[in-house]
Amino acid sequence: MADYCSDDNRLNLKVVFYGPALSGKTTNLMQLHTLLMPERKGELMVLETRDDRTLFFDMLPIGLRGSSGLDLRLKLYTVPGQVQHDSTRKAVLSRADGIIFVADSLSAQQDNNAIAFGNLEENLEKVGLDIEALPLVIQFNKRDMADIVAEDVLQERWGPTPWSPLQMASAINGTGVVDTFRALLDRLYSVADNEFRLAERHGIDRAAFVDRLSAGDAHAPV
Amino acid sequence: MRQFEDDPTLTDLLQPQQVSRLESSLEALGLGRVSLTTTRHENAIPVEFNLETVAWLSGDCSQKNLRAAAELVSFILLFVAKYRLAANLHHDATEAGYEELQRKHEALKASEARYRTLSDQLQEKVKEQVETIQKAQQELYESAKTRSVGQLAAGIAHEINNPIGFMKSNLKVAGDYLDELEEKLPGDEATRDLLNDFRDLLAESQDGARRIATIVADLKTFSSIDHAEYTHCRINDLLKAAIHLLRTSYSDRDLAIDERLGELPDIQGNPARLSEAFYNVLDNAVRAIDEEGRIIVKTATDSSGNIAVVIQDNGCGIPEASRGQVFDPFYTSRPVGSGTGLGLTVARDTVRAHNGLIKLESRLNAGTRITLLLPSKH
Repeated sequence: MADYCSDDNRLNLKVVFYGPALSGKTTNLMQLHTLLMPERKGELMVLETRDDRTLFFDMLPIGLRGSSGLDLRLKLYTVPGQVQHDSTRKAVLSRADGIIFVADSLSAQQDNNAIAFGNLEENLEKVGLDIEALPLVIQFNKRDMADIVAEDVLQERWGPTPWSPLQMASAINGTGVVDTFRALLDRLYSVADNEFRLAERHGIDRAAFVDRLSAGDAHAPV
Repeated sequence: MRQFEDDPTLTDLLQPQQVSRLESSLEALGLGRVSLTTTRHENAIPVEFNLETVAWLSGDCSQKNLRAAAELVSFILLFVAKYRLAANLHHDATEAGYEELQRKHEALKASEARYRTLSDQLQEKVKEQVETIQKAQQELYESAKTRSVGQLAAGIAHEINNPIGFMKSNLKVAGDYLDELEEKLPGDEATRDLLNDFRDLLAESQDGARRIATIVADLKTFSSIDHAEYTHCRINDLLKAAIHLLRTSYSDRDLAIDERLGELPDIQGNPARLSEAFYNVLDNAVRAIDEEGRIIVKTATDSSGNIAVVIQDNGCGIPEASRGQVFDPFYTSRPVGSGTGLGLTVARDTVRAHNGLIKLESRLNAGTRITLLLPSKH
């Protein structure tokens, strides 16, 4: 849940990268760390275990200041994708303000995508969040690989859902990562502005929110 | 509640002696007197972690060196925080997992208790069913016994009828002969006494024979061995026979039974079963009253020929709590062995078999009224 502290005029928002194991959640976060240069950017904290598999989570804090002096911080987390770390996933997911679901484009991984999405629905319910109300963007990663499901098939499959259109990415090459993040920021703004009156009270409109939090590192080519 | 992701403070990350050790290490690097505090001092440099100023570093050295030192402290804190965050998350996750286990455990215990109760109830039900079956078997056995006794009684009654017939007729003729003898015998005192005594003996014997004939007739009516299953029934006659049998059964008591029998049409019915029903209700009434008690037996009919039989007593009545049970099989208020608990059940079943109704009204210590309604058309 968004956490506003009026004493410090500080607003904490939490975005969680969710998805099946090895779909590229940590790669997304590392690319954002490289590609983004928002006004404030903290250290990328990566808690991988051996074999480069996430055991607990990764975290990247970024932020900006509003005209009112609002200290707006966005903490980006990844969850461990492996099935056995479900209790850790649930703990990281709790109080999330937005979700980026990183799916695997490989044809062979479609079942795992569905299982992971079901797990997301289930865990959101357990931590008391409503999937219908939560800003959620779905990214199909690994578009650079062979033997992937075609984009039009995916778009058609997910067309009737509230999360259409899907974002396509190749996180390893840095493509689609910032676009996915901007799509999420756009959806997150609607909810956050509704609750905290970002434009009215703090002078942060939609464009400022999205552009300033996703500002590029000297417009690095992606 | 504190979450694992809450921004850590300096005291969350480093213990006081660790802060002192860090300060001494920095001093040993030639930064002069160094202090790392959570409050701001003059010329202090902020130490940031996660966009958050977690501490202020001040020292007797150049700002450039101090900034480098602050960067170093930040770098150290990053790794401390990594461990701390991971440990907190692990703790949260374990705690949540444990709570869920506890919840599941409680749910399992509750469901186990539910099943145990269910099993107990089932056992109780089985016991009840077994008892009901045993009672039903007992009833069947009793009723078969009663029926065979009834048949025997009817057979005996039939056999007794003939000898009683010629005994009655012979006794009457014997009386006539005595009159003839009297004229031919001498009229002295002793002979007259002898003849009078003889007459008394004959009269007593005639009376006895008549009484035997009445009992036999009642027995025949009651067991109805002579009748087909359904036939024309004279309800008043059946009632009279039942009352007579009742008086005979309670010969040690002087029963006050007031018969107010109206004109009734014949109806189709099973006389044996109706007699038994009337007898059972009357028997209950007798048992309810004391020496002062009275029983009223009334019959009436309406324009359609439906018959109402009312058997009313001014006895002890039935407690309200028991009124719902009196028609239940084997329900009895009497001591074990003195009643089968079938009397009213049989009466109700019989009335229902005749498409009729049985009604019970009772007031404790005031009396009971049983009304049997028998429709004219079966």
